[in-house]
This record gives sequence, C-alpha cells and structure tokens, in this order.
Amino acid sequence: MDQHKFINLVTPFKDKVYRVAKRLLVSDDEAQDATQEVLLRLWTKRSDIKKYRSVEAFAMTMTKNYCYDKLKAKGSNNLKIVHNNYEDHSGNTSKHIEVADEVAWVFKLMEDLPEQQRLIVQMRDVEQMDNAEIAVILEMNETAVRVALSRARKKLREELIKKRNYGIS
Amino acid sequence: MESHNIEKLLDGYFEGATTLKEEQELRAYFTSDHVAPHLEEYASMFTAFNVASKETYDAPIVLPQKQRSTSIYRFAASAAAAVIVGLVLWTQSTQVDASISTNYENEELAILKTKQALGMMSQMINQSTTQLEVVQEFDKASSTLFK
Repeated sequence: MDQHKFINLVTPFKDKVYRVAKRLLVSDDEAQDATQEVLLRLWTKRSDIKKYRSVEAFAMTMTKNYCYDKLKAKGSNNLKIVHNNYEDHSGNTSKHIEVADEVAWVFKLMEDLPEQQRLIVQMRDVEQMDNAEIAVILEMNETAVRVALSRARKKLREELIKKRNYGIS
Repeated sequence: MESHNIEKLLDGYFEGATTLKEEQELRAYFTSDHVAPHLEEYASMFTAFNVASKETYDAPIVLPQKQRSTSIYRFAASAAAAVIVGLVLWTQSTQVDASISTNYENEELAILKTKQALGMMSQMINQSTTQLEVVQEFDKASSTLFK
C-alpha cells in the first residue's frame, strides 16, 4: 500500500478519530497529537490492515487505548489539562448565538462524565455509531453500553436542569 | 413534527432505547428553529452534539518518508558491521595461532605443565563449591517451614 492509497483509506474517519480523542483529552493540541500518532501506528501496521474487519473500528480502538494511556499518565502526574477551546462552529443564526453559551456548558458537563460514559456519548450521540460497534471497541457487551449511555444522558439532563433552575455556573 | 411525538422519543432516548434513526429525528428537531417552548431545555444538548460532530482534523497527515531509503541505510549498516566482525575475527585468529604454537620439546615437561594447570583448575572449582554450601542453609530453613 502506498502513501496515497493509505491517505485515501484513512480520510473518511480521521475527523472522527480527532473528535473522539478531543472528547477524552479535551485540548486541541493533544487531540491532534493523538490523531497523528494513531494514523502513524496504522501506517506501520498497514500490511495487517486487511486482517481487520473494519479499519475504522480498529482505528477507534487504537484511539481509545492511546487516550486512556495518556490520561493515566496525566493522572499520575497530577496534571490538570488547561484549555480554552470552547467555540461554537455552527451557523450564525441568532438562535445559535443565544444557545452558544449553553452548548459550551454541555461540553463542560460532558467533561465531568466518567471516561467510559464520555466515550460512549461521543460515539453514540455525536458520531451516531450503533451500540454493537461501540461494544466491540470498548470490549463491553451491548447491554452494558446501553445502560452506560442512559446513565450518561440522564446525568447531562439532570445537570442542565439544575443549571436552568439555579443558574449555577 | 408534533411535540407530543418528540416527548415520547425523548423518554425512550434517556432510557437508551431509541434507534439511531429516532435520534437523528431528535437532533433534527432540536437544531431546527421550531422547538416547542417547554422542550427548549433539551435543545442545548442536541445542538452541542451537532456542533461537536462538525469538527474536523485539518492538520496534514505526516507519514515517514519513503521506505526504500531507510532499507538502503539498513543494508549499508549491516554490510559495514559484517566487514568489521570479519576483520576482528581474522586478526584474532592469527594472534591465537601464534600463541598456541609454543610447543614443549620435552614431552614429560608438557605433561607436568598440563597436570599443574588442571590441578589449579580443580582447586579453584573446589573453592567455589565450598562457598556454595552456605546456600544449603536456606534450603534447610525453608524445608522446616514448607513441608
């Protein structure tokens, strides 16, 4: 496989790898490093690529593992990620500007979810992957995925309602 | 879509029971401009998911440069290593030959020298085995504990 072919192969899901990495690592820079690293590892394993049923699922698993390792290393170093990249990239309708603040708040709430729930919400609600696929990547069974998903969604709702009622920020 | 239907979908959504298609409907509804007032609190969630799904990785993908050049280096390095190893072996073998060629003219003397050398060796071995006897103490101690 040459570089050109490889890039064509990874282009459909490179954004997804980046977004998932960013959900876990939060900072833009680190998510970019993670994406680059995952793609590089995929490149070195390109001769085995045909063995995997889905290259994308394989890439997602690699991303998950890479980010977990990163977070673990960070946890032991007691480093808190500093970031300031909440931006609303959506359209400019007046309504969107109004909710931009709340959208940023949702991202913050997602950050407070446990790692696994964060990943599941990202893959299901943002990337719209099906539970079976998520289960394979996270090495869980489908029921556990569904339970974690429900728990995460309810937690987000609860926090949003709390904010609405008390204006906590 | 009617807000009644959306409410039903929302209930399922929070139980994790909606299908991907139904979730797409929810997202479409909540990112539209016609959200019913009493459901507005959910709009931020679905808008956030929608916003998050639009982020892209724009940096170029950097892959290591052509494999061929590295394999040439590798070949050159292994060739150089082989030459060096060959040289060392060759010089050493010639030296060893020179040292071995000191033959004793007197056979008896040669035998004596050999005996002496072998005797020294066995002495050394005996010395080191006596030191090993200490280790047996551990064995004794552990055998009383683990039967």
